[in-house]
Amino acid sequence: MLRRRNLLTTLLIALPWALLLTLWHQYPTTPLLNGTSALRDEGLPSCVRQQQSIRATPKVIQNYVYSRPPPWSDSLPTIFVITPTYTRPVQKAELTRLANTFLHVQNLHWVVVEDSPRRTNLVSNLLEKAGLNFTHLNVETPKSLKLGLSWIPSHTPRGTLQRNLGLHWLRDSFSNTAPPEGVVYFADDDNTYSLELFEEMRYTRRVSVWPVAFVGGLRYESPKVSPAGKVVGWKTVFDPNRPFAIDMAGFAISIKLILEKPQASFKLEGVKGGYQETSLLKDLVTMDGLEPKAANCTKVLVWHTRTERPTLVNEGKRGFTDPRVEV
Amino acid sequence: MPKRRDILAIVLIVLPWTLLITVWHQSTIAPLLAVHKDDGGDSRRDLAAGLDSKEYCLSDRDIVEVVRTEYVYTRPPPWSDTLPTIHVITPTYSRPVQKAELTRLANTLLHVPNLHWILVEDSQRRTPLITRLLRDTGLNYTHLNVETPRNYKLRGDMRDPRIPRGTMQRNLALRWLRETFNRNNSQPGIVYFADDDNTYSLELFEEMRSTRKVSVWPVAFVGGLRYESPKVNAAGKVYGWKTVFDPHRPFAIDMAGFAVNLRLILQRSQAYFKLRGVKGGYQESSLLRELVTLNDLEPKAANCTKILVWHTRTEKPVLVNEGKKGFTDPNVEI
Repeated sequence: MLRRRNLLTTLLIALPWALLLTLWHQYPTTPLLNGTSALRDEGLPSCVRQQQSIRATPKVIQNYVYSRPPPWSDSLPTIFVITPTYTRPVQKAELTRLANTFLHVQNLHWVVVEDSPRRTNLVSNLLEKAGLNFTHLNVETPKSLKLGLSWIPSHTPRGTLQRNLGLHWLRDSFSNTAPPEGVVYFADDDNTYSLELFEEMRYTRRVSVWPVAFVGGLRYESPKVSPAGKVVGWKTVFDPNRPFAIDMAGFAISIKLILEKPQASFKLEGVKGGYQETSLLKDLVTMDGLEPKAANCTKVLVWHTRTERPTLVNEGKRGFTDPRVEV
Repeated sequence: MPKRRDILAIVLIVLPWTLLITVWHQSTIAPLLAVHKDDGGDSRRDLAAGLDSKEYCLSDRDIVEVVRTEYVYTRPPPWSDTLPTIHVITPTYSRPVQKAELTRLANTLLHVPNLHWILVEDSQRRTPLITRLLRDTGLNYTHLNVETPRNYKLRGDMRDPRIPRGTMQRNLALRWLRETFNRNNSQPGIVYFADDDNTYSLELFEEMRSTRKVSVWPVAFVGGLRYESPKVNAAGKVYGWKTVFDPHRPFAIDMAGFAVNLRLILQRSQAYFKLRGVKGGYQESSLLRELVTLNDLEPKAANCTKILVWHTRTEKPVLVNEGKKGFTDPNVEI
């Protein structure tokens, strides 16, 4: 009887002390009992690095904080979106709702190119506040080009110089020998983009294409895709025999290709209406090298919307509203 | 003698067990305290993308905890138990640009926490296009419909022009709110009327969240001006309206320029937009005069000096090349 009791007692003593010793070994900091008072400390003293060497694995608590845009990922190709823009009443509204869309897209880099002699405060502030990854450029379209006063009787489509500057910046920023994984997409500031579109274009190998709504006087224009999944023509009413009868919003180009062909740019002058996209794409790819997206070009993921010019008649000659209030 | 030995034995047993229990207790409490501390200060702007390891040493004398903050993105943001819900009422109708408008509006709304979208179609039945779109966004939503009676005297598909567009739809949403939420219910909420072609900044939704009765702010591109705005005095009270068109209306403000606390909507259960006999520009007044007086209005957007919402309008797309029989595949949804 006595022996058994002795054994039990010994066990009851030995066990907890053994456990305590183990703990002590792991966390060789003195009185664990003082924990409560230390936790009430509001000011967090800087962490003493030496402590790491003596202690064993610390406890890790995972804390999630909502982020906008989504965190950058090292494994996703980057989408470089080139947006030409110009000052007019609805500019801030257009860029705001465009930014609200881009803020959902992972690994997006927005290249905003103003048609202006200087980068404006309106656009600078908007870009800073949005939180997007961006580059802010500007180049002014010479008035002669704007008014179509060049000796060739054609017009310079709006945004050309700005898009070319965007391409130029890309070629300056990245080397052809170590091109980043990514695509270039030309996104005008008044169109509407679904989030799905960006995931479709992300893995473009050379040039990818898809339908665009509200262009060419149609509900949508679309590439013609053969059963084998190759682009064989264009479903348009307006000049379907153009080399690339596609809208600016209907294609994306891999960065690698842009860097490989540094001479490829949008033609500035002498471009017939509807041929601007061709002027760039013909130097980059042939029709059978195109990659159809959006379920083999059967889904519409981008709309060529246009915004009405607001009526400002009541401003009168001298203006009614405070001009310092930014619209 | 045996007694002393017994006492010693008891002490040797009780002491270590007590210590062990205390330590175990600490280790479960500590992590919770650490997490709360981290939640406090982080603002969206400070976020460097990706994983950010912050190491806390709570004190020299404590068990060391590591709180790893991971910046994650979800669409929409996680629901919060403390934020008032913003009920956004959007009337909509079928036309070519409808899907585009709702897509970009949804892209904006998807950033706003605790948002409930009430989309009301002007149609006989809820359409598959809207049903699919709403489901695919992931937003918290309610899908309603009511058809504005047509005026058969007019050619084609014209609705009765005496009823301002969107009125019946907005009223249906108000009725739905009153049927769904108890007057005594304590769930805080704000009601906002958002047309599907306007442009909204994200800041606007945070401004309206603190509405106690009715809050107001400037709206761009209305009334033939760059913007219309409430007039706010030095004491921060609304005393008039900076408009050219009929500034003496009781509420010379656009639909997009005000928000109402849900409690007020539920209390004044008979307040609706007037359906007929409403002069141009008086629709908002027809509702607001039953809810609040000028004096009670809460000015937002830095005392009504900032523009956070624009009354943009979208051009009707040119579809001439569709011709009589249609060129594009009608099964492809735009």
